[in-house]
Amino acid sequence: MLEKEMNNRVSGLLAFMSAVMLLGCDLQSEKKLPYLGRREVNNSDTIYHTIADFKFVNQDSNYVTQETFRDQIYVSDFFFTTCPTICPIMKTQMLRVYEKYKDNPQVGILSHSIDPKHDTVAVLRSFAERLGAESDKWHFVTGEKEEIYKMGQTSYMVSAVEDPSEPGGFIHSGAFILVDKERRVRGIYDGTLADQVDVMMKDMEILLKEYE
Amino acid sequence: MNKTVLALTYLSVLLVACTGKTKGVDASASEEVKLEQYIVVGRTLYLQHCSSCHQKNGQGLARLYPPIAGADYLENNIENVVCNIKNGLNGPLVVNGIEYNQMMPANHKLTPLEIAEIATYIYNSWGRSDGLVGVLDVEKYLRGCQAK
Repeated sequence: MLEKEMNNRVSGLLAFMSAVMLLGCDLQSEKKLPYLGRREVNNSDTIYHTIADFKFVNQDSNYVTQETFRDQIYVSDFFFTTCPTICPIMKTQMLRVYEKYKDNPQVGILSHSIDPKHDTVAVLRSFAERLGAESDKWHFVTGEKEEIYKMGQTSYMVSAVEDPSEPGGFIHSGAFILVDKERRVRGIYDGTLADQVDVMMKDMEILLKEYE
Repeated sequence: MNKTVLALTYLSVLLVACTGKTKGVDASASEEVKLEQYIVVGRTLYLQHCSSCHQKNGQGLARLYPPIAGADYLENNIENVVCNIKNGLNGPLVVNGIEYNQMMPANHKLTPLEIAEIATYIYNSWGRSDGLVGVLDVEKYLRGCQAK
């Protein structure tokens, strides 16, 4: 009698746990990343914030535009090669992203220099090579300073502002911005924190599933 | 009876242990405490000022930032290490046979004591135990740095 009751309890518990696990799986598979930024509704159609067109030059002197990231999700950030503070940490973290996705043609990385006067194509090429980054996967771009700052502030929604009092002369956010294949921002993460970058890489998996 | 013997033995062991520690070893004991303090503070300063590039574990990053852990550059080179921490570094530098060429920023705000603590930390970590790098030595090395 007692044994039977125990058995009932155990099977009840098992059933409950299985239900929780199934629910957990279900929630996970249905998780969708948000769309960040301003949105407009036109006749029941929602128009999401998208990255504006751009044209910069990468470490190989090639133009990098929206076309470069056709059929790719990509991670974008803002840095400069002589930055003594957070950039080395960001690059350490971005290198993890690069290592994980270097063989995945659906993923790209776009690092903008916010000190384009110093970070010429040659400087960026040397930097990328020493970091061990392949050009067709990880683009380090330079260009008109105003254009780069404008992209940072309006398209990627992060700040990149000059401040002579800061070491290196620039302040910037250290953000990694995740962009989908339709140029929409799907996540903004702190690129100086390893656990935030872990979250981003999980989110990248979720985003890639949208295109399966 | 047996218990008394045991207790006595125990006490004498304790006494020997105590005298062993204090007897004539005062100087080196306080040296050891000082070394330990330098390493602890040095580690904090290292994490604050150096680890972004050289990494927390001293391994450096790819061919951008050279390692400190296991670096041949540290061998008999404390003068230059101290000067580099203070004044930064420009131009190519070979560490363990690999050339690096990334600007190292100066740290003019670091005091000789702080530099001594950082130097002590890196010279007593990652397999090294070279002992204390003293403030007076650091001040001497700093006077010898080439003006940049």
